[in-house]
Amino acid sequence: MNLESELRALHVDWPDTPRFRLEPARRRRRTRYALAFAILVAAVGVAFAVPESRGAILRFLHLRGASIEFVGTLPHADERPLTDGLGDVVSLTVARSVIPGLLLPPLDRRPALHFAPGEIISLVFEHRGAPVLLSELRGGGGSYLKKLASFGTNAEPVRVGGHDGIWITGARHVVTYPRRPARLAGDVLLWETRSATYRLEGPSLTKADAIDLAESLRKG
Amino acid sequence: MEGRPRDERELALRAQRGDSRAYEELVRPHQEIAFRVAYVIARNAADAEDATQDALVKAWRALGRFRADEPLRPWLLRIVANEARNRRRSAGRREHLALRTATAFSGEAAPSPEDTALDEERRARLLAALEQLPEPAREVLAYRFLLDLSEDETAAALDVPVGTVKSRSARALDRLRETYEPRE
Repeated sequence: MNLESELRALHVDWPDTPRFRLEPARRRRRTRYALAFAILVAAVGVAFAVPESRGAILRFLHLRGASIEFVGTLPHADERPLTDGLGDVVSLTVARSVIPGLLLPPLDRRPALHFAPGEIISLVFEHRGAPVLLSELRGGGGSYLKKLASFGTNAEPVRVGGHDGIWITGARHVVTYPRRPARLAGDVLLWETRSATYRLEGPSLTKADAIDLAESLRKG
Repeated sequence: MEGRPRDERELALRAQRGDSRAYEELVRPHQEIAFRVAYVIARNAADAEDATQDALVKAWRALGRFRADEPLRPWLLRIVANEARNRRRSAGRREHLALRTATAFSGEAAPSPEDTALDEERRARLLAALEQLPEPAREVLAYRFLLDLSEDETAAALDVPVGTVKSRSARALDRLRETYEPRE
């Protein structure tokens, strides 16, 4: 066998090819949602009455990348697992390009990172024996997370590592993401930094637990 | 060189008009080879991944300058290789190429343990000899024979004329022969 043939027959063990993000991130501004977070903080933490008209919005609260609308009747939504519809698994590089302030749990083995349209990176990992879903949305960008809550759901302002946040607890609420079917969600911690909005959800998370976990996340 | 997909020109034209889905379809078949081209230069998977990712975004932005009648792969590999080279230069790192030979055999008949050991040893020595070559020689051989790039594609990735690929390949093979002497 000549040298060229031997080289061709080497069967090099190349590293696995990562999944690349081929479309550059679009950066859009949502000026119509320019309400200050302080207004939100002042408005939450109260019980919400049921309006007479179906679907009427009682209150409209939001962060840059998420809103909470308190309505009289929740729209239909299915109960689905936390791992459902998270999107394609992407590399760490791609996830960082989507969320410059990407946060990761301090685990020996990094959970799979999923990318969904709307510039959302999600990961599911185990925390104290139960699954937790961490969703990260580019703050002030094209992504938008909407939560629809009704009677029995409470929203309470919290601080997460020096940032403003909301702990949503009580009756289940409906969460919608861009181009994804709505689903029912349980207790959730939302918080935002200058660059991103973060969301933690887990069936066994208490408020203190969720905040502790959020503050233990490290930049990825 | 591989035959050009029939619809590549159509996809390129659509992508040039801003159709990002067409761009995805256009580029997807070349991601693996692009990553490996970057890996040969970057010498580690993380840097190769970053270089390829950035190059794919740059290629999207530069698509207006791509001539849709020409094959995409050389054009794309040139951008990827340039990005990998720039990153390596700015990082100032000099790492060993971490190429390893795969252990699996593709032949139908299973080789004897003695043959397997001999073959493994020969392949490991050849790869070690390749890694010891100066960078231009190593890269041209890696592209031509490990990645099976055409001369045009290799020229694009190395950013040199095709004639240089031919002469550089011949010299690199001579150097490799000097350090690698297969035991008969």
